[in-house]
Amino acid sequence: MKKVVTVSLVALAVICLGTAVWADQKNYGCGLGSIAFEGNDGLISQVSAATTNGTFGNQTFGITSGTSNCEQFKTFVSNEKINTFVAENMDSLAKDIARGHGEYLDTFAGLIAVPESQKTAIYASLQANFSKIYTSDSVSYLDVLRNIDSVIASS
Amino acid sequence: MFRISLFILCLISFFIIFSKVIAGNPTYDLVLIEEADRRALYNDKYWHTLLHYKKGVFGLRSLIDDPNFFLAPGGKHNPKAELEATIKAFFQEPGEGTKHPVCRFVARYTWLKEQLGIDPSQLPVPECTHFEQLMVEIKPEAVSLIFPTSHINSPASMFGHTLLTIETATQSKLLSHAINYSAITTDTFGPLFAVKGLFGLYKGYFSILPYYGKLQEYSDIDHRDIWEYPLNFTKEETRRLLMHVYELDSIYSDYYFFDENCSYDLLFLLDAGRPSLNITDQMDLWVIPIDTIRLAKKNGLTNKAIYRPSKTTKVQYVASLLSQKDRESARAMANGEIQPKDILVQAISQDEKATTCDLAIEYLQYLYTKKRISKQQYLDRFLELLKIRSTLGQSTEDRYAIPQPPRPDEGHESNRLSLGTGIKKDRFFYELRYRPAYHSLLDNDKGYPEGSQIVFGDTTLRYYPSLNRLRLESLDIIDITSLTPRDLFFQPLSWKIKTGLTHRYMEDGREHMVYQLNPGGGFAYKHNATGLWYAMAETALNVSGAMKETYALGAGASVGLIAKVTDLFKFHVCARNIYYGIGDYHNYFEAMVQANYTVSSNTGLAFQISRTKTRSFYQTEGALSWNIFF
Repeated sequence: MKKVVTVSLVALAVICLGTAVWADQKNYGCGLGSIAFEGNDGLISQVSAATTNGTFGNQTFGITSGTSNCEQFKTFVSNEKINTFVAENMDSLAKDIARGHGEYLDTFAGLIAVPESQKTAIYASLQANFSKIYTSDSVSYLDVLRNIDSVIASS
Repeated sequence: MFRISLFILCLISFFIIFSKVIAGNPTYDLVLIEEADRRALYNDKYWHTLLHYKKGVFGLRSLIDDPNFFLAPGGKHNPKAELEATIKAFFQEPGEGTKHPVCRFVARYTWLKEQLGIDPSQLPVPECTHFEQLMVEIKPEAVSLIFPTSHINSPASMFGHTLLTIETATQSKLLSHAINYSAITTDTFGPLFAVKGLFGLYKGYFSILPYYGKLQEYSDIDHRDIWEYPLNFTKEETRRLLMHVYELDSIYSDYYFFDENCSYDLLFLLDAGRPSLNITDQMDLWVIPIDTIRLAKKNGLTNKAIYRPSKTTKVQYVASLLSQKDRESARAMANGEIQPKDILVQAISQDEKATTCDLAIEYLQYLYTKKRISKQQYLDRFLELLKIRSTLGQSTEDRYAIPQPPRPDEGHESNRLSLGTGIKKDRFFYELRYRPAYHSLLDNDKGYPEGSQIVFGDTTLRYYPSLNRLRLESLDIIDITSLTPRDLFFQPLSWKIKTGLTHRYMEDGREHMVYQLNPGGGFAYKHNATGLWYAMAETALNVSGAMKETYALGAGASVGLIAKVTDLFKFHVCARNIYYGIGDYHNYFEAMVQANYTVSSNTGLAFQISRTKTRSFYQTEGALSWNIFF
């Protein structure tokens, strides 16, 4: 019985650690095609980078403030939060813009403070001008922001 | 002379009083310590929560192992010394480049300030401005417990995982902060992994990431559906919870797989957020992530669950809305076999075109995350598809409202006890069976992935009255089966692994106990009218002293069908043949029908009849049992 318990425990162990280790894999980028993927390039080795820097003050909370080094736009106030969100969710945002709807688009609209009454019109106009926003596969997040800015400005 | 002495005495006392006034009250810390000791605050439940003190075999100790977490020497074992050292530390002069203890231990400070009525104006650092700034920036509003479900085809996620999110005033779930506890390691060698984890040789840290990062990981790569359980924490409780997270920044605990694991350490945050909770004391010997959800429910923290389907689930659902022909064009577009613009000329409605495009986009992303296509292929097709999609009209909210499946916390519980009776050959028996974890193919699927079985330590004892004998009939140490159906879009492998003790007929015509190891792999298909069909190639190793050469190694195959007649009734029919060609060579054949009727969410009735032929010995066995989950 002792053996059973031990073996079961080992099995559970593998599982929970595995879970834990996978939990912090991340792979953010700034352009299209930077969505995370399953890789053989060390699911596990990516872990340390994400967490050993500590919880506060780096990744999330560190980027939430300040507008320094941010380009200013005509239709919205730029800040680090917007830049980071667009950079790290390029593919999902592109998908939502092409569909004219979605959680990533809603979040983006919230960040650039689109009034509720204008949402439908702006979503439709972004969708209609998709090709002007995502001009090529090497488009950067700043290009995307600039292009969105001009689409909203001219709509 | 006397007057001079008096004068000097006055002068001295004046200086003493004066210096006291200048330096603040140097004994204020001692006053506070005395008051804390008088009220025995070091025994307070909340002090123990903040320091993670728990009773162990050798007395009280903190589960935190990082020396930086303690201010007193021996603080890990001594709540009183730690409390006194903490109060003293609040009076330290601020140093360059280091966080002042008032900031470093902001939750301790806040609590002690409330308990002792500390006057901040008498402290060199009256409040933690950095923490206050953070709160202004992130505007924490509420907490959710997040459960990415298990994905059986990756053993690493077999039981799921839990994390917390902090909702902010921005209202977007994507921007909430995900708080995660995990072990840090660079080891990739499985067995080393297991052993080190078992003995707590890894360090566990808390981390915070944007929730959208976690979603990429779980829903887009791991293909795990996610359940979000909003907790009824107030703003103030959320703030308290965050204070404790702040204290745990860069602090490690030794990570143990079963008890001090991913799910358990999160519970301390809940206890820290709501002092009246006592959730860390309510866990069993080991902590399975879903049990923490059940516990949260039991403690009245949550009653709502929000479902967030994974990419795989989305592909399957969107595909179900389309005709076979459209599904095939979506797949062909993702595979680059037809151009997205070809869809425009097809004789289907604009709405169907949009849905077909949406399906192709999701599937294309799946192919890329699985590295089946290169980045350039992905980008070319992705942009082309999106361009076409942007001309096909706006999506609406309920276009892909994927129906919410049964909640995982409403499924049966993890432990199972069975009481049964039956006949083997012509002998009558009573049976007692216990399984500590987790779910078998025949158990009700509600809240569990269909076609999955994860069984550990399934032990069957039988009493044969005619022989007046009680024996260990079988013991499945590990018995895992993953039947994942293949379809147009996904072609997963199904597999099984079973190891443990069982009984087999030997040449002498009697049953002997054997140890068996039986892995297998194959395919499964779902047929709508009948159920889940599967076929597997299997190998088997049997070891027993009663065998010729003490072992037999064989190979064979199994086929089966799992049919769900109603939500409450399902059965499993299967046949298996293994030919043992090495060692004690012989043939083994079995055919079996199992049925399960769910009486209530935690009780069920099971029936099984089997016919086996081992070597030249036939045997028929039937059993009926009552299952209780707890």
